Amino acid sequence: MRFFRNPWVYRAVAWVLGGIFLYAAIPKVLDPRPLLTIIWGYRILPPGPINLVAIYMPWLELTVGLGLISGFLRRGAAFWAFFLLTVFEAALLVNAFRGVNVACGCFSQSAEDVHNAWFLVLRDLPMWLAAAYLLFITPQSRQANAA
Amino acid sequence: MLCYSPPMGRIWREAAILLAVVVVFGTVANLLPHRHMAWWGQGQEPPQAGRDFQLLDADSAYVMGESLPRTVFVDTRTAAEFNAGHIPGALRLELPSLQEMLTPELRSGLAAAQAVIIYGGSAETDIEQLLAQALRRELPALPVPYVLAGGIAAWQAAGFPLEAQP
Repeated sequence: MRFFRNPWVYRAVAWVLGGIFLYAAIPKVLDPRPLLTIIWGYRILPPGPINLVAIYMPWLELTVGLGLISGFLRRGAAFWAFFLLTVFEAALLVNAFRGVNVACGCFSQSAEDVHNAWFLVLRDLPMWLAAAYLLFITPQSRQANAA
Repeated sequence: MLCYSPPMGRIWREAAILLAVVVVFGTVANLLPHRHMAWWGQGQEPPQAGRDFQLLDADSAYVMGESLPRTVFVDTRTAAEFNAGHIPGALRLELPSLQEMLTPELRSGLAAAQAVIIYGGSAETDIEQLLAQALRRELPALPVPYVLAGGIAAWQAAGFPLEAQP
């Protein structure tokens, strides 16, 4: 357990997860319109709020990425990373159980980029675990290390 | 096992600050005219092949342009990309400002078209499909538009000509 409380391990996980969030967010921030089709493709949300999700979610992903990498408001960023990944996993699981393959919208803006939903659930799982780690584990302080 | 008493007060505070930042940036970005979209969805289904658009390869697009005199090519790229080189005779339309760009002359020109072929700068054709759907909504008499698979790169790779804007 001491390994996981090592501040450098904590930082490294935050940098990797933050980098993934930044990579995923930038194309969506630049042009959120294709997200409308992708979110619709999940067949979970009613039509009304789809636009609101497409407008704000890319900025939330960008903020999470910046927070995790910079260390500024990192615990808040870890909270939103955990929240987002929980929502993504739940949405993918619903479609996996329905037997519907979806365009994830994770790293591609295209609704044509369809993958097996179970594969996407498994691909997101390590990121979900990393976010849980960043949220629930408190790294050891320097003083504690010195003692 | 994971409970190393995370500082919940601090987490909530930081999460609230980040949410406020997201609301401000997201709202301001969506107020910019060139990227504005409706705040609340209208229940509009995503474009469907066959009903809203049909995919077309570069060879077929060229043959169609040569054999049907009233074929209209529509370019969805930026003005700079369009000026650097576009399919001869193409006009440029942007999805976010479609209604302003569709002048009465353009509407009548499109309504009289035998075929409308939409292309963009990327192999992904989502924007072109959305534009095809929007054009059909604006001009119900328009024949189902074609979307050039592979975009302008496929046209160039097939060796077909481009013209540049002076």
